[in-house]
Amino acid sequence: MAAWERVVIAVSMVVFVALLALAFTVGALGYRAPPPTLRDLAEVYLRTTFNSDNPLFSAMAPEAVTAIVWDYRGLDTLFETAVFFLAIIASVALMRGVSLPRKEVGPAAGMSPIVKTVTKITIGMILAVAASIAFHGHLTPGGGFQGGATAAVAPLIALVVFSVYFLEHAGVTKNRMLGLRSAGLLGVGLTAFLVLAASIVSGVQAYVLQNQPKPTAPIGMPSIVDGAIFGGTLLLFNIFEALAVAAGFTLVFLLLAIPEEEALKVTTGGEHAH
Amino acid sequence: MIAPQTLVFGILALLGLLSMIATYLAITERDLVKAVVFSAIQSTAYAFMYYLLMAPDIVLVYVPVAVGLYPAVVLFLIKKTERYEGE
Amino acid sequence: MPISPDSYLFNLLIMTLFANLAISLYGVLARPSLVKKVIALTIFSDTANTFAIVVGYRLWPKPSEPPIPPVITRIPPTREYIEEFAARAVDPLPQALVLTAIVIGLAVTLFLVFLTLQIYRLYRTTDVRKIAKLRG
Repeated sequence: MAAWERVVIAVSMVVFVALLALAFTVGALGYRAPPPTLRDLAEVYLRTTFNSDNPLFSAMAPEAVTAIVWDYRGLDTLFETAVFFLAIIASVALMRGVSLPRKEVGPAAGMSPIVKTVTKITIGMILAVAASIAFHGHLTPGGGFQGGATAAVAPLIALVVFSVYFLEHAGVTKNRMLGLRSAGLLGVGLTAFLVLAASIVSGVQAYVLQNQPKPTAPIGMPSIVDGAIFGGTLLLFNIFEALAVAAGFTLVFLLLAIPEEEALKVTTGGEHAH
Repeated sequence: MIAPQTLVFGILALLGLLSMIATYLAITERDLVKAVVFSAIQSTAYAFMYYLLMAPDIVLVYVPVAVGLYPAVVLFLIKKTERYEGE
Repeated sequence: MPISPDSYLFNLLIMTLFANLAISLYGVLARPSLVKKVIALTIFSDTANTFAIVVGYRLWPKPSEPPIPPVITRIPPTREYIEEFAARAVDPLPQALVLTAIVIGLAVTLFLVFLTLQIYRLYRTTDVRKIAKLRG
């Protein structure tokens, strides 16, 4: 398709969408989009997210979205983490038997020294920003998954600029990343049972995934520690989730960077063939 | 001058049109590396739209995932399989 | 009859999102390369997430006062501040649901990429028309 044909098609699509929107606006009989008031459920969430007048129904975290993700609807996030873990396990199972050959590479592997020096500086900065996003998730926009995804960009750049053999030599191997991801998920599971364990010891009633004291469960995490807003289980969830997500993405990149000859040896021949 | 609400809605509509053109170019392009670049342009337009719609959490998820990690994974895949779409 | 430009521009945004949905659906169904299908599928799911966030927006309370994101910035908040916050902030629930949806979409895409790699290693092609003629 020549270039001018594409320009004609793009311009005609823009004109068509503009006229369709005009027809919809004129003929919609007074319907106004967007609405000027919120739904009642949104008002409930906004009013109870940090309310000292109502401490038994409030989540005591100034960030409404993180409180919904980990406190009001924490069970959804637990299942989403499980789905992500299943996808990673399925990818590891598809690449079973394939491993990186042991190869010693000198300092000449990878890209030029200018790129390597700039990368060494920026990797530190990326990891610092990712830690800040993950730790402040209950006070500012951010949280566990945002920090983990930002932290996973650093091993990706290191993989491309230095080579994958250098990373393997430095200790970033597939089994170690699987161990880190399992440690993060174990932390998430333990935090979910934290208040329940404390309640069994002291004899009052409590629920799984509980954060603050509720009407029938008078035990909970502290909400203000030493004058700073602690956030209860939200802080612990954010830290463990960031660790688990960063380790999971690094594992996927390490699997994708194995050269094709190794994988073809396993699928089409050799003594470990499928 | 223009009222602020009209200005913000105008920028949102312009970003929507930009993302529509980038999607059309990404789907009808036969070189797969250029298709991934067009898809990254469309993701950047969406990230700016999320910022104007007052959703900062979603911007912080979307920018590393859709502009950084996802094109890297698809570029690894293109390097290991074919680069041009078949006839 | 007079139309307000704000209404027209917002409807234009929604129509472009519908056009994105249609173009990416065509890309999933009609293009023969597996990699192009994966790219079109991610555009489709991202557009569906954008619809959910557009539903959570609200009209400006006063013409010079935009809505604020759902984050409390004055600690500890007084009763009047919470009333003003509930009258100006956008809806936080669609943002939490879209966060979950982005992660699940990413996990499915990663699995599809590995499956495509395995198909290429076994059959040496990523063209669905050729794979359909192979008979096992």
